[in-house]
Amino acid sequence: MDDLQSLKKAFLDEIAAVTDLASLQQIKSRFTGKKGLLTEKLKALSALSPEEKRSYGKLVNEIKEFIERTVREKELALKEIEKENRLLNEKIDITLPGKPVLFGKKHPINQILSEIKDIFVSMGFGIEEGPEVELDYYNFEALNLPKDHPARDMQDTFYISDDVVLRTHTSPVQVRVMENKKPPLKIIAPGKVYRCDSDVSHTAMFHQVEGLMVDTGVTFSDLKGVLELFIHSFFGKQTPVRFRPSYFPFTEPSAEVDIGCIFCSGKGCRVCKTTGWLEVLGCGMVNPRVFEMSGYQPDEYTGFAFGMGVERMTMLKYSIDDIRLFYENDLRFLKQF
Amino acid sequence: MRVSFDWIKDFVDLTAAPEEAAHRLTMAGLEIEGMETAEDDTVMEVNVTPNRPDCLNILGIARETAAAFGLPLKKPQARIEGPLQKGDIRVEIDAPELCGRYSGRVIKGVVVGESPDWMKKRLEKCGIRAINNVVDVTNYVLLELGHPLHAFDADRISDRTIRVAKAGKDRSITTLDGVERKLPEDTLLIWDNREPVAIAGIMGGQGSSVDSDTKNIFLESAYFEPSSIRRSSKSLGLKSESSYRFERGTDRVFLETALNRAALLMQQAAGGTIHEIVDVYPGEYVPVTVEVPYRKVNSLLGTDLGKEEMLKILEMIEIHTSDRGDSFTAFPPAFRGDIKEPVDIIEEIARCYGYGRVPVTVPKTPLPAGLLNRKERNIDKVKETVRKSGFTEVINYSFMDPGDLDMLSLGADDKRRRTVAVKNPLRQEDSLMRTTLVPSLINNFLYNLARGTREIALYELSRVFFDEGGRLPDEELRLAGIFFRENAPSIWQENAPSFFIVKGALQALFGEMMEGEYSLAPSDEVFLHKGKSADIICKGRKMGFIGEFSPNIIERLNLKIKRPEIVIFELSVDILLSLAKERPTYTQIPKYPSIERDIALVVDDRITSGEVLDLLREYVSPVIESIELFDYYKGKNIPQDKKSLGFRIVYRNKDRTLTDSEVEAVHGALVDFILKKTAGTLRQ
Repeated sequence: MDDLQSLKKAFLDEIAAVTDLASLQQIKSRFTGKKGLLTEKLKALSALSPEEKRSYGKLVNEIKEFIERTVREKELALKEIEKENRLLNEKIDITLPGKPVLFGKKHPINQILSEIKDIFVSMGFGIEEGPEVELDYYNFEALNLPKDHPARDMQDTFYISDDVVLRTHTSPVQVRVMENKKPPLKIIAPGKVYRCDSDVSHTAMFHQVEGLMVDTGVTFSDLKGVLELFIHSFFGKQTPVRFRPSYFPFTEPSAEVDIGCIFCSGKGCRVCKTTGWLEVLGCGMVNPRVFEMSGYQPDEYTGFAFGMGVERMTMLKYSIDDIRLFYENDLRFLKQF
Repeated sequence: MRVSFDWIKDFVDLTAAPEEAAHRLTMAGLEIEGMETAEDDTVMEVNVTPNRPDCLNILGIARETAAAFGLPLKKPQARIEGPLQKGDIRVEIDAPELCGRYSGRVIKGVVVGESPDWMKKRLEKCGIRAINNVVDVTNYVLLELGHPLHAFDADRISDRTIRVAKAGKDRSITTLDGVERKLPEDTLLIWDNREPVAIAGIMGGQGSSVDSDTKNIFLESAYFEPSSIRRSSKSLGLKSESSYRFERGTDRVFLETALNRAALLMQQAAGGTIHEIVDVYPGEYVPVTVEVPYRKVNSLLGTDLGKEEMLKILEMIEIHTSDRGDSFTAFPPAFRGDIKEPVDIIEEIARCYGYGRVPVTVPKTPLPAGLLNRKERNIDKVKETVRKSGFTEVINYSFMDPGDLDMLSLGADDKRRRTVAVKNPLRQEDSLMRTTLVPSLINNFLYNLARGTREIALYELSRVFFDEGGRLPDEELRLAGIFFRENAPSIWQENAPSFFIVKGALQALFGEMMEGEYSLAPSDEVFLHKGKSADIICKGRKMGFIGEFSPNIIERLNLKIKRPEIVIFELSVDILLSLAKERPTYTQIPKYPSIERDIALVVDDRITSGEVLDLLREYVSPVIESIELFDYYKGKNIPQDKKSLGFRIVYRNKDRTLTDSEVEAVHGALVDFILKKTAGTLRQ
């Protein structure tokens, strides 16, 4: 029986030193295989008495089970180690950059234009468009700006011919829509406009959003309500808003809308020229003459119109200090937004 | 306009600080754009809107200030006590429709010299250079009372006769600034008995001007028709402080006060004797009355103002009224030529009441559900799809250089030559409206390349303009893009040729947007590489192109890169949107498994892969689900004039599982079919 105990001990010694699955299999077959050491021991059984046979045999079986169990456990442990090793071998440098995903950016002007459109659409305004090369009639005359009117000086005009211009504002869309649709009317008309003017703060082309609402009983206080709602959605609820008298030939009363300077909170800074206010919108009640020229009854309907420069809004939103950046289209600029 | 705060106080007893005055004026519609302190005075920069010529002077601004503070206005007094001697200048008006009133006074025996300091200071603060006491007085009164005056040397007026008449043919005059000007026929002039002595309301002539030897003055104070002055000023390209005010409208009643004020000041500054007024007044001022229903005021403004409050407000700005029960009649003063209609009166009420006090309400009009229209949504989707493929949006001016079309080598009958020209461009390079977006994108590419950007993918979606003979040009919506990538070292290589990167982006765009098929055909665009370009054809119509620039164009761009692959595309958004998908309906996902088989085909190199694919698709079988090219090979082991194409065919029966043998049969037949059609062989 001692020989069996020493066999077990020899097995334990050997298995402790095993580090790979192949050697483990070798050990297993050397001890418990058909010609293994333990199997050899069974051959000695025949020389033993029945009494001894039983206890010897029992011991052999116990050792065999022990060996098999130990091998199984060792096998699991080795496999685990092997997996670990494989993972270690597969290790990557996680600090390498990811494969760049190419996706383009929307021009900042159009990002802000979309925001503006979304706000008005949520207030029930529809979107209309009109030609960029426009008849003098729609751009000026139908908006109560006859030829030789000094207010035409407010807008330097590009001419195609004597009666065709590059539209200087999106307001002609108002007239075109009124000629074709009956009230009630709630529209905005975004688009490109042109002025024969180019310096640090002006570009020959820029974007405007025109708005028009016409119905029975629309008031100046409604105009204030709609534009305050817009400004609070766009610049934030706390933004102070003021309406002050101004002049546009196509609206009366006319107003400029200022917001409290968002850079200095109204304390006065370079951007607001120390006034604490920034001009963001022009607006007013539609001039009855414009209604007449568009074929609406001025006694029946009232309405308001407004217009804003998208470049200006974008500059305020992103703190951009030079309008010309928008048209240089430098990718280092465009990718920032 | 620059205005001295101190000067305003001549007309209103104001104790408030300039800042407070500036705030109230701004909120009353006279925007103060800036302020600066000068000695013990403040100079304000006032932005006067074109409808308010009455505020182009100190008195007008003082009137608004008085109203804003509820203070009385001290009106200017300029009485000249008689008896006076009759002046020796005779006035005739030949064009009464352009000159409603012409008055003047002779002042004899003046001594031309420097003006008193107080006058020079005030003029300079308001931005006008002092010249001599006679001219300075006219400018001083112009600034103070807003009426332009002109001083002639009375001894240089031939026959002591002033005649107001149009220029007629072939007239010219040398104006005060020393420039000889040819005069358009309709220009209104002031003549003496021989020749023009001034361009009415715009600028005096040199021949009749006041200099240091002048002894006798004829001082003119007149009313000229605004539109005539504006037309002349524009066609002559000549503006002055006078023309600026005349073209906006002056007060023909008040001009007499201005004349007297100037005569008295002149006597004070330069001595001399004032003579009796000469006053020819063919266009008598007709007072305006405006009838306004009270109800209309509140219903337009959304306010709840009482009758008395409305009338009180109007009285403050010198608009007298009389109550008529449900309405009132307003009598605007002569200096308020802008007030003609009820809405003009309502605006005055709102302005003086304060826009800030008008309530804030939400319109009662029921709100329809706001929706972007279909076109807007589709355009947004087009742009989004292109952005997802890596293109960044640019916006360019709608202009192009006439040379751009030559740069692209466009032929004389190319549609893109039907351009719309701007008559008064800022620069020659911006003198045409774009007929293609390509030149702008080339400029964007060059700009970015010059600034070190090595990966450039840009798109623009904008209108182009064609002169098709209509009153207005045709405006079409275009999408164009440019792509360039320098083969810079990168960890993660991507080796597809640029053409196919861009083609992939367009495939994605068409897949997202379009119903129906499109195809590519060799392009005849002269600016594209003959072998690397294609027209995009849809329903038999060309909707755009894609391709590398031709070597000629590359040469013209003068790049420092060897054989750059610059790919450009442009397509009609109008056509794309006309084919836009409706909302898709769900198709069931297949229940039964598919079986894939490959074909490796060696064919003549002249047959395109697209042609082979088309041939494969000709083979009709209900179990062929898809055919896709997955391998393209030329080179070793393939004869030189051949290429190898690998296609993967997916077989599926949507009603049951296909068996191998079924697939073998179809696939075998397909292989035979394509070998015969292409005269190809199977790759070993």
